[in-house]
Amino acid sequence: MKRLLGFLTVLGLAAGLVMGFGVAPREATQGNVQRIMYLHVPSVWVGYLAFVVVLVASIVYLARRSEAADRLAHASAEVGVLFTGLTIATGSIWGKPTWGTWWTWDARLTSVSILFVMYLGYLLLRGMIDDRERGARFAAVLGIVAAFNIPLVHFSVLWWRTLHQPPTLMAPGPAPVPGIIKAALYVNFVAFTLLYGYFLTRRVRVLRLEAEAEA
Amino acid sequence: MPDNWAFVLAAYGLAVVVLVTYWRFLVRREHELQDAGVMRQQLRHEPDASAPHATQRGPLP
Repeated sequence: MKRLLGFLTVLGLAAGLVMGFGVAPREATQGNVQRIMYLHVPSVWVGYLAFVVVLVASIVYLARRSEAADRLAHASAEVGVLFTGLTIATGSIWGKPTWGTWWTWDARLTSVSILFVMYLGYLLLRGMIDDRERGARFAAVLGIVAAFNIPLVHFSVLWWRTLHQPPTLMAPGPAPVPGIIKAALYVNFVAFTLLYGYFLTRRVRVLRLEAEAEA
Repeated sequence: MPDNWAFVLAAYGLAVVVLVTYWRFLVRREHELQDAGVMRQQLRHEPDASAPHATQRGPLP
């Protein structure tokens, strides 16, 4: 199962690269720097997905005290932080040639940074509390509270006037991009979702082995 | 608009480094824990295997 998922992930990422660099055309306004979007947009999608999984797993943990749900939340938060960090870094690299700055305190950039710091805090909290059960309980509460920031990040570009453009795909109405660019984005969405699933599976397994070693 | 390939390369290069480093961390940690698990199991079985030797040795002076 793990091997199959790994194989599908590699296949998906290869297809994503082919679509992003070989099939999708050079964007007329931004030039080739727009190709960073095939990395940046799927990364933020995986960040959202990972934190929604943290939310669900945290609720399940608080309701049933299931160690499996706690491990899932922990693993998903870690992978989510990884991809959110990647989103911020790739966005900054794209921003320099496009906006003329690496960083600006725009509503989207600020809210996504808060999201990143909150889940980084979630991971630190888990590491700081020695009592495993207590740490899991506190983390679950934080995992639920932090999730309220996800819609804030997503809709920040609609609620406030920002330098960051409005959502391209997950917005009401038809996407304002040509079909081939949309297709390249969708292929990368699938590839990154597979990569998330692969990392999550492996991280959950490592956490289970760590719990067995401590027992 | 210039193409800015250096920025494209930097973004994809950074992603490759981050993702491969994390993947390698997961693989290495999994192997470490698996090896430690095998060693623990061996240690658990060891007292049973050494029990006959212990009885053969007899009481210490």
